Amino acid sequence: MSPHESSDPIPSPTKETSSKGGSTPHQRQQGGSGAGGSQGGDENKASGSSAPAQKSMTKAERRELQEKQRAAKAAAKQPGAAPAAKDKEGGGGKGKGAREAGSTHTQNRASISGPGESSSSRLAGRDVAGDAGISKAGPPGDDPIRGSRIFAHFGLPKPVGNIKGDIHPAIIKLGLLFSEFKICGSNARCIATLTAFKTVIQDYTTPAHSTLSRHLMTHLSPQITHLVSARPMSTTMGNAIRQLKLEISGSDIDLPEQDAKDTLCSKIDDYIRDRIIIADEVIQDLAGKKIKDGDVILTYARSSVVEKVLLSAHEEGKRFSVIVVDSRPLLEGKYLLRKLTTCQPPIPCTYTLLPALPSVITEVNMVLLGAHALCSNGAVYSRAGTALVAMLAKNHNIPVVVCCETYKFNDTVILDGFSKNELAPKDISNISKDSQTPLLTPNLEILNPLYDLTPPTCITAVVTEVGLIPPNSISSIPLALGKTSL
Amino acid sequence: MTHGHHHPPQPLSPEEAANQRIVEVLASKLRRRQVVGSRAAALETLLVLRQVIAKARFWNIDQLVAIIRAVGRRLVDAQPNEHAVGNTVRKVLHHIREEYHTASKGADTTATSKNYSIAKFVLQGQPRKHVTTQRSETKATLKENDAEDPDSFARGLKPVLMEAIQDVLDELETVYDNVSKNAKDHIHSDEIILTIGMSKTVEAFLKAAAHSRKYTVIVAETAHRYGGREMAKSLSSTGISTFLVPDSSIYALMSRVNKVILGAHAILANGGMFAITGSLLAVTAARAHSTPVVVCAGQFKLTPLWNLYHEYGALDFGDPSKVLGFNEGDLVDKVDVVNPYYDYVRPELIDAFITNDGDHPPSSVYRLLKETYDDEDNEL
Repeated sequence: MSPHESSDPIPSPTKETSSKGGSTPHQRQQGGSGAGGSQGGDENKASGSSAPAQKSMTKAERRELQEKQRAAKAAAKQPGAAPAAKDKEGGGGKGKGAREAGSTHTQNRASISGPGESSSSRLAGRDVAGDAGISKAGPPGDDPIRGSRIFAHFGLPKPVGNIKGDIHPAIIKLGLLFSEFKICGSNARCIATLTAFKTVIQDYTTPAHSTLSRHLMTHLSPQITHLVSARPMSTTMGNAIRQLKLEISGSDIDLPEQDAKDTLCSKIDDYIRDRIIIADEVIQDLAGKKIKDGDVILTYARSSVVEKVLLSAHEEGKRFSVIVVDSRPLLEGKYLLRKLTTCQPPIPCTYTLLPALPSVITEVNMVLLGAHALCSNGAVYSRAGTALVAMLAKNHNIPVVVCCETYKFNDTVILDGFSKNELAPKDISNISKDSQTPLLTPNLEILNPLYDLTPPTCITAVVTEVGLIPPNSISSIPLALGKTSL
Repeated sequence: MTHGHHHPPQPLSPEEAANQRIVEVLASKLRRRQVVGSRAAALETLLVLRQVIAKARFWNIDQLVAIIRAVGRRLVDAQPNEHAVGNTVRKVLHHIREEYHTASKGADTTATSKNYSIAKFVLQGQPRKHVTTQRSETKATLKENDAEDPDSFARGLKPVLMEAIQDVLDELETVYDNVSKNAKDHIHSDEIILTIGMSKTVEAFLKAAAHSRKYTVIVAETAHRYGGREMAKSLSSTGISTFLVPDSSIYALMSRVNKVILGAHAILANGGMFAITGSLLAVTAARAHSTPVVVCAGQFKLTPLWNLYHEYGALDFGDPSKVLGFNEGDLVDKVDVVNPYYDYVRPELIDAFITNDGDHPPSSVYRLLKETYDDEDNEL
């Protein structure tokens, strides 16, 4: 989009919307940008029209089409979250263990990529690849095959192979960090993704005959696809990207390109600050108030929010001890342990592995847990093992407090940890080097699911930046925040 | 036996018996945990008892019982957490008394039910009783404290005792086969079974079921010993479709699990059990999903004990460096590490015990105990 184009059609959108009349401000904005694009085409017929087919549509139709495409794209990018059954089948090829997986997802990859393709055809291509993977898997009715079919829908991170399309180096780097679990945890991943997108946006130039608000997302889509191919997208990333899309499509087409990019970047900064950093500070305060001198706090694995809560409460001078429960595959609790014991004076810590949890739970006053996502039914989707901890604490009548920013809310309902999950790649799953590690035989498969789902009945309260709420009231929070979507 | 020439014909004192070399050897092996697994411990104990009885000089039943008890105490003290040792001693004592009663009272075996109890009443029709009654026909007269020939009592009793011990030995040796003989009735086709850690009994049970059923096993590897890896390897090598998962995913996978099958370390008098750490977590998760929990165990694990103490299972702790190794640097100095061996699982969390002698609900464990041991031996 040239400066000329962007500054030229100022009066025309308003003219057009007012001539149609009766549109809400929201509609006007969308209609305005749409009309602006076609207006540009109108005025510069010599340089070719941008969307001749769209031109003949009414605005409502156009909007509908946009929504549809957006939904299709979201479905394509979130294989785990997509409710479409065929998408899960598509994942089937991937979960089939290393041997098949290797061959299937090269197929997947080939059909996914190609920025020119429409999103719907991308989805279809993925389906075909998935089906091929299943039919390839061997004679039906064979037990091992049946076994792996049970787990087929678990997302398996794939080795980052050849890079298709125009992927920004920052994204390639991030993809590697994700796939090697160097950046792990939903907050860290979200911040890293948004920061990388800032670089991508700054390095982006709108091609001729297009507007930033309409083209930037098609530039970002392959970047997102690349990240998802490195590791399935986290809910936080999904929410943040959805917000970013909204900002992009709503960005004023009349702004000079650099200004528009700067605005977007500052919007991203605002999002990180408001929804993550400040939210965490509020959560620190709120959850810290629940910690009393002499308490024994139990936590599982490592949550960045829980870590901050514990450290800030300790800094305030509260004297409590912490039990860190940990488990394979990631053994993240050791990082937390290191953080807690290096502050001055060190927090008294006990470390134990998950099976020993019943032995230590009796002396605990409160269980503090982190979350990966929070479903609208109040269930907490979090690191595998969290549900066991919450369940046992509940059985011992110990309060279970989940620290979770509102941007982790997920407007779907998940019923068990089986329906949506992700497998840790074998090389990072901490299988110790000892000789008794079993070799893979045809009948043996090693699975390392990364998540599980804690039912709301096991949770006493969720600490968010808008206060402590019972888990069954989660669904009211987005509305209370004045949002129609998360 | 040559020592008759060197010693005056005095009965073996209990202290002497407990200090014998074979007893000493086993005690130190137990103390150093060189005997691993309850069945191995039971077998070793039984072999030692057999040798002790074979060598022992005694003039009456009380002396023999005192000797066995002293040996038993010594072994139990060496490793109080290996409950199978004490159980084996109790079982041998029970058999000794039974053989003594049948031998001294001749064919009049019904007299054994002199002290009336519901347990004995229920017991009347038990097949195990018939075996002992048939054997006792041979000896009609046994004289205790015979002044002329004090060893005649031991001479008369020892053969039947050896037979009785052989019975116990046979039972121990066939325990896995007998536990798993009805395996196919408990597992049906296409089921998904969850088990944790390594249990020889469960291994045999699952393999036996695999002869006639096609099903899937999920094995939780169970930190810190990660016995599940060995288990998964063994199961998959016999063609069972096996998945090895970390402990953390037990809850996530439980919604697809049809049955949880566990091993036990010791079955307690109230129907609860000591089992490998991780059992309580798996069982509680199963309860949350209403998944049945089945425990496979030989009856030598029946222990006349109650866990009235605390949650720290059998108060038995493993090596903390297995949890937080020294490769973690200075972290090791700053942090307490808890690494218990066993969980205590309450009876209400268990649906059934599958033993080598039938399947029992936890509520009837007390009856099995009354039947297997004599009350007076509960404290050795």
